[in-house]
Amino acid sequence: MDSHERSPRPTPPRPPAGPQQLRARALAADRRAAMRRRTRRIRRSVAALAAVLFSSAFLIIYVQLASGHDPALAANAKRQAKSATSVQAQTTSVEPSTGTASESAEAAGSESTSGSSASSGEESSSGGASAVTTSQS
Amino acid sequence: MSSDTEASEQFDCFGSTCAALVIGDTAAHSARQAAAQAKHELLDWHGRFSRFLADSELSRLNRDPRTQVPVTTLMARFAAAVRTAASTTGGLVDATLLADIQRAGYSGELHAPLPLAAALARAPARTPAKGSATQRWRRLAVDVDARTITRPAGLQLDSGGLAKGLFADVLGERLAAHPGFAVNCAGDLLIGGAAEITRAVRVQSPFDARILHTFNLSRTGVATSGIGRRSWSAPNGAPAHHLLDPATGRPAFTGVVQATALAPSALMAEIRAKAAVLSGPLAAAGWLADGGVIVFDDGSHQVVQPPAVVTLSQLSAFVQGTRKRALQDA
Repeated sequence: MDSHERSPRPTPPRPPAGPQQLRARALAADRRAAMRRRTRRIRRSVAALAAVLFSSAFLIIYVQLASGHDPALAANAKRQAKSATSVQAQTTSVEPSTGTASESAEAAGSESTSGSSASSGEESSSGGASAVTTSQS
Repeated sequence: MSSDTEASEQFDCFGSTCAALVIGDTAAHSARQAAAQAKHELLDWHGRFSRFLADSELSRLNRDPRTQVPVTTLMARFAAAVRTAASTTGGLVDATLLADIQRAGYSGELHAPLPLAAALARAPARTPAKGSATQRWRRLAVDVDARTITRPAGLQLDSGGLAKGLFADVLGERLAAHPGFAVNCAGDLLIGGAAEITRAVRVQSPFDARILHTFNLSRTGVATSGIGRRSWSAPNGAPAHHLLDPATGRPAFTGVVQATALAPSALMAEIRAKAAVLSGPLAAAGWLADGGVIVFDDGSHQVVQPPAVVTLSQLSAFVQGTRKRALQDA
């Protein structure tokens, strides 16, 4: 046997706990349990709060974009509105503007420049960028 | 010319109508010069890629008896597009069916198309198309850097819609510095520009030229493919058109008469639009990952909306806008 190996230290026999000691132990156990409950409650609250904050922020941004109030698009529209003031002289192959690009499909259809013989037609929209039509080539 | 004006060129090309629309000047070119240059390029490419011109680069390539043929960069890119189209669609969009389409009766410029409703009434039963069993496209190899095409002699390429999508993309690369542009290669569109200006893109019905839907887009490829325009009557009186079922080599009647696809490039849009028509009503929408419009045999149509994706730049612009408003309020 290895002479350096330690033999386990013998534990002294515990004296029987008195009623006061038992009460103290029960109290300590109660306090530990209360602390654990509190920790759990705080942890859950933080997680729930983070989830709510993230969901609200996501929802706000989503609704803002989905409802058509995209600030990036608004910036584009402003730029186009600015350029529209200077778009008056178009080349002869483009028809004059009759409305904005978002007019109804039927109205747009009636003003198509290409007719049945051509696959595409372009006409100017009020935003400076002509509308384009795609059809079978 | 003011930097905000739009220059436009509209002209006949590829047996149809093409257009180049350019907004704003760059240091190198005015919008008018850029549009004129785009027109010049497209007319030149038409001469090089037409299978109806015996001396075109494509006709010479198709006649070449060598296995490996040196070609121009654009022809190499076209051949690479043929390979991409077939591999991404499982052979559904196959531009190596030139012999089949000539056999079906499309060997020269076509006259007025058949009225679509009448052609559909005489068409065979509707079936989704499938890739060919022989998969000839797999024998096509392209080295774009070395500008060579390797294929067995006799494997011929049909420029068709793929070339138009590719041309729109190539012109888009050249016009990218202008604030806004739209290139329309006979129905295959590329829209873009440095200022990301929104443009209305209208989809026309193949039955009566009515506008079915309008998308407002700033940077995208759009293509429409269908069986309504390039159509004719076969000698036996049966209706025929240019979209073949690769499995049978005959015109495909699938129940979808037209599909418009949105995609990051015009070439990819062209591939998706053709695949949507050929795959039939049940599978068509699956090809329109970035949105589009499907028109069915009975004249009804389905709009597939582009996915509602918030890009990083949109989010950043929103946050900046909110901050600015908050500062102004304060």
